[in-house]
Amino acid sequence: MNRKKGLFIFLMLVPTFSVIGFLTIYPTIKGFILAFQNYTVFTFGRVRFIGWDNFAKIFSDPEFLNIVWNTVVWISVSVFFQLVLGLGLALLMRKPFKGRGIYAGLVFYPWALSGFAIGLLWSWLLNGQFGIVNDVLVRLGLIKDNIQFLSNPDTAMFSVLLVNIWYGIPFFAIMSLAALQSIPKSVYEAAQIDGAGGFKQLVSITLPYIRPTLINTILLRVIWVMNFPDVIYGMTRGGPAGSTEILSTYMINIVYYKNDFSRASAVGVLIVLFLLVYTIFYLRISGGKELEL
Amino acid sequence: MKPRKVIFGTLRWTALSMYLLFAVFPLAWIFITSIKPPQEVYTYPIRYWPSKPTGEAYVYLFEFANFFRYFVNSIFVSMAASISATFIAMLSGYVLARMRFRGRYLLTLFLFFTQMIPAYLLMIPQFSMFSDFKLINRLSGIILIYIGLGATFSTIMARGFFVRIPETLEEAAMIDGCTRLGALFRITLRLMLPGVAAVFSFSFVNNWNELFTAALFLNSDSKMTVPVALYSFISKAGIQWNVLGAGIIIALVPTIFVFSFAQKYIVAGLTQGSVKE
Repeated sequence: MNRKKGLFIFLMLVPTFSVIGFLTIYPTIKGFILAFQNYTVFTFGRVRFIGWDNFAKIFSDPEFLNIVWNTVVWISVSVFFQLVLGLGLALLMRKPFKGRGIYAGLVFYPWALSGFAIGLLWSWLLNGQFGIVNDVLVRLGLIKDNIQFLSNPDTAMFSVLLVNIWYGIPFFAIMSLAALQSIPKSVYEAAQIDGAGGFKQLVSITLPYIRPTLINTILLRVIWVMNFPDVIYGMTRGGPAGSTEILSTYMINIVYYKNDFSRASAVGVLIVLFLLVYTIFYLRISGGKELEL
Repeated sequence: MKPRKVIFGTLRWTALSMYLLFAVFPLAWIFITSIKPPQEVYTYPIRYWPSKPTGEAYVYLFEFANFFRYFVNSIFVSMAASISATFIAMLSGYVLARMRFRGRYLLTLFLFFTQMIPAYLLMIPQFSMFSDFKLINRLSGIILIYIGLGATFSTIMARGFFVRIPETLEEAAMIDGCTRLGALFRITLRLMLPGVAAVFSFSFVNNWNELFTAALFLNSDSKMTVPVALYSFISKAGIQWNVLGAGIIIALVPTIFVFSFAQKYIVAGLTQGSVKE
């Protein structure tokens, strides 16, 4: 009986875990090895180890510090505004109203769409010559001349951030709404009897109650945003003049345009190290609670 | 009604309407652009509505730009990969949720960590592996990779759904003479249908949207998926924005469609891990 149970467990797990082993774990290890080799599109068959050369090239890139800084800005500004606006939206949508289901469908739709297509779409809206955003701003008298949102290095980062925030608000709103709906009504009834007003209730009941969900969502979202080059790729591909280059777009650009697979792998190793340090930090803050599921 | 309530109500409605506009307008505008005749796309001042709405851009895409091929490729790749990933995730998710055995916690922990490894970090080693197997520029290669990308999170999600189905139902069926697999298929999977829908749609959407690996692997025109085709469009000079707009609409519509019926289940799948009840 026990052997039969063991065999059953084994057979049920084998497909998933062999797929993960073969397509995720092995490539991860291989990626680390490639980072110390000279594998490019042109070195087929003549791949050899070259030590830390790839890393030396990355660190001596004059743009590198800039890219790290951009990555930090990209993550922190995106996540901050996604959270604040997403939570705000959830609070506004919390009380049931007629047509709330349809409203939710209409405002939540962006969150699972292709980030690349969303980026492309917005690059048309923000177009410096024929973009509707410029048109509206000029008509409202807010600006005199069109803004070259994406071709000017001073406004490009602002533009990709705007789109990424737009893209991420629904996710935070969905998560917050689910958390808000899990707060028992009785808590508020008690507060009302005590005479607590709307704002007081928000600060002393609602926010503390959904805090664990928010912390979890924020921490996971940071990883996700860091690994999300899609929107930038649809809009600027890291340009102009590297003003929107973050670590992930940097790596992809090295793959696509320099075809230097090993150097790109070295960037990948740096990203993994960053993620690892961050994850340890994450587990310490959250106490590993969500791992019990 | 108290005046304070009226003011708050008005503010709330204004904010909600403004956000609705902000959320919906971009998609509406790209749609309007896609039904403009070519000469009205680049006008100054901008035309807000075409003088004569036309499906020209879509006809061009499907008849001249080979978009039908890309669309079929995308559907095929996404379906094949999501169905496979969902199937194997159901098996492993079930075992991880239901059976007591040593290493269960470790395996779950392992899944949690692997789901953090993003696709674009794996594409180079996968490219090097797959060129050894002659799987570059083949849809089967991309399907395999997508199964790998989907398997981890699908299992986590499936496990979450299984945990919520009361075990007693299965035990009752097994006492009545069902085998464990029989109980799984007859009782649990039926209750799991929302879970299956969630895992499948989430995986489908991710596959449908994936660009970077596909762009590296699929280099011949007949093998491209929709995102790769869009990507190759923008590198071509002289692409008209009404045509590109139509391509974007086509890239977005299937996911909007999937979400209009599966969003409820997907949200349940995503929130159950992080929202404590």
